[in-house]
Amino acid sequence: MNDLRILHLEKKYSKTAAAGQEPFVLQPVDLTIREAEFFTLLGPSGCGKTTLLKLVAGLLQADSGQLWLGDSELTAVPPEDRRFSMVFQQPLLFPHMTIEDNVAFGLKMQKVKRKKRLSLAQEMLEFVGLAGFESRFPDGLSGGQQQRVALARALVADPRLLLMDEPFSALDPGLREEMRELLSRIQKQLGVTVLFVTHDREEAFELSDRIGIMGNGRLLQVGTAMELYELPASTQIARFLGMKNIIPGTVHGGRFISNEGVFEFSAGNSVKAGEWCLILRPEALQLLAPGTPAPAGALLVRGEVGRMKFHHGLYQCKLHVGGAQLDCTLSRQQAESLAAGQVYDFFVLPDDLHLVGI
Amino acid sequence: MWRKSKPYLLLLPAIATIVLLFFGGLFDGLLKSLGYFPAIGETRLELTAYAEVVQSDGFWESLELTLRVAVLSSILAGILGGILGVSLFLLNEASKTGQARVWHRLFQLPLTIPHLVGGYVVVLLFMQSGLLSKLLASLGVIDELTDFPVLVNDPFGWGIILTYAWKEAPFVSLLIYPVLSRIQRSWRDVSRVFGAEKWNFIREIVLPVMLPSWTIAVFIVFVFTFSAFEVPFLLGVTYPGMLPVYSYQLYTSGTFADRPEALAVNIILAALTIALGLVIYYFSKRWQVWKGWA
Repeated sequence: MNDLRILHLEKKYSKTAAAGQEPFVLQPVDLTIREAEFFTLLGPSGCGKTTLLKLVAGLLQADSGQLWLGDSELTAVPPEDRRFSMVFQQPLLFPHMTIEDNVAFGLKMQKVKRKKRLSLAQEMLEFVGLAGFESRFPDGLSGGQQQRVALARALVADPRLLLMDEPFSALDPGLREEMRELLSRIQKQLGVTVLFVTHDREEAFELSDRIGIMGNGRLLQVGTAMELYELPASTQIARFLGMKNIIPGTVHGGRFISNEGVFEFSAGNSVKAGEWCLILRPEALQLLAPGTPAPAGALLVRGEVGRMKFHHGLYQCKLHVGGAQLDCTLSRQQAESLAAGQVYDFFVLPDDLHLVGI
Repeated sequence: MWRKSKPYLLLLPAIATIVLLFFGGLFDGLLKSLGYFPAIGETRLELTAYAEVVQSDGFWESLELTLRVAVLSSILAGILGGILGVSLFLLNEASKTGQARVWHRLFQLPLTIPHLVGGYVVVLLFMQSGLLSKLLASLGVIDELTDFPVLVNDPFGWGIILTYAWKEAPFVSLLIYPVLSRIQRSWRDVSRVFGAEKWNFIREIVLPVMLPSWTIAVFIVFVFTFSAFEVPFLLGVTYPGMLPVYSYQLYTSGTFADRPEALAVNIILAALTIALGLVIYYFSKRWQVWKGWA
């Protein structure tokens, strides 16, 4: 198997640190990306994801650690000999070359004969929906089309790994959506291994088989989109994933009690005593129909319904519980049966009560 | 109305001076080359002077020398300037300090030195009793100063060629450097990821990007050296002289009757220069120097 194995890869920027600031350090990263997997590094700006990508590409030299692809070690191999491809944030096409020459550039470097490389370039252009653009120059194409050409250039050389550094961030939302669909389809069809970098949660969740969340130069958690969303490993990850219902409290004698004393439930004996945070996903809060009992073991939450906003076919609602304000997602039917300012009962199933350490 | 015409009115003194001195001079030269010379009673227009020029051996030998010097100086200046430009570009890529800027300024130094001074520098360096020959003699490379090849005031024109190569190389690099500086640092990353080593990068990206500007710069140097006067006058031999010197000699050493011939040489020179200018314009349009650049 040609898995990509990153072993204890580390990088320290000592020279670029501004006066009085700590130099940026990419803490040792250990990660395995499986063959034909779509893996995304997700994190805010400046968290080290592009540094890690460039270390994998060979464009930056690691201070320590190793990089393996299958049985071959690539740590000291220069980028030009790794047979990887990359799509950057900007298309970075060569303006003096035609579109087909741009696409065939990698093949030319691999010394593929002109006739063959141009025919492969034409095929790939057709694949990304740009047949007929072969003899044009990059400045005659729109931003989205140029990024498609950059994608074709990266794919045509049959790379062992495709690296993508926020490739759609400069495109407008509609085009971004279109490019995501195109990339997803092509990746599945060609079975290429992809290491993708983005700060856009939606993009990462939509495209990836697995996601690695990064923050402050560390790889914080790796998992599928669902694992990360339902079971974030820390409040930092939960916040980055957009969760707002983070309720601090303590566990004592196997029971969690929130700091305001509003939420109390059995945390199980495996949870150590100490300070913890309860993370409640907005859709985990379910409306309890009047007169019906809550399911066994569920946490009952009584709160005053506040402002409601219609968003993507659902209602986002604020729920005031004690001193806390919770975000809650309701279906249209449920939302229409509620009146703002009134008190209602909600419940959370035991499996949806997720505790993380502070 | 005033606002629209104001810029033109402000430009009028400069334009009037150029028209009067340049075009006026050219027109006067054209009339005199056609034999119109009221001072000696000649008021007819005829092509006698042109016929005499074309039939004289001196003109053709002078034209041959002029072409040789112009071609060799522009090729040498082009090669030197190209190497200079690419070196500066690579230096700029490699270093994050201001080192490249210092070198850039240093290499531009010949631009600030007048051609005449450049010519003297070449005389002092390359004549048989010059600095270089003395240095080689003292090092024992040559036995006598006379063993040093004649590079100044030589019939082939090496002195002139060396002067122009030295003087115009920074001009060529100055013209191509803005194009090279538009090559983004990230293109090197792109090319590396796709398998290009440094030489591939220079061959595939740097050279094709600079080629149109480089060719035009070399053409400009060619046209300039083709019609330049002071350096050939200083560093050339008495016979054959380059066309501008040949014309000057005809104008100053002969009688009034020789003047139409001297001016005919000038007019032929101007016509050839204009024709070459049109060639440059044609190629710059055809190649679209900035083709593909957004």
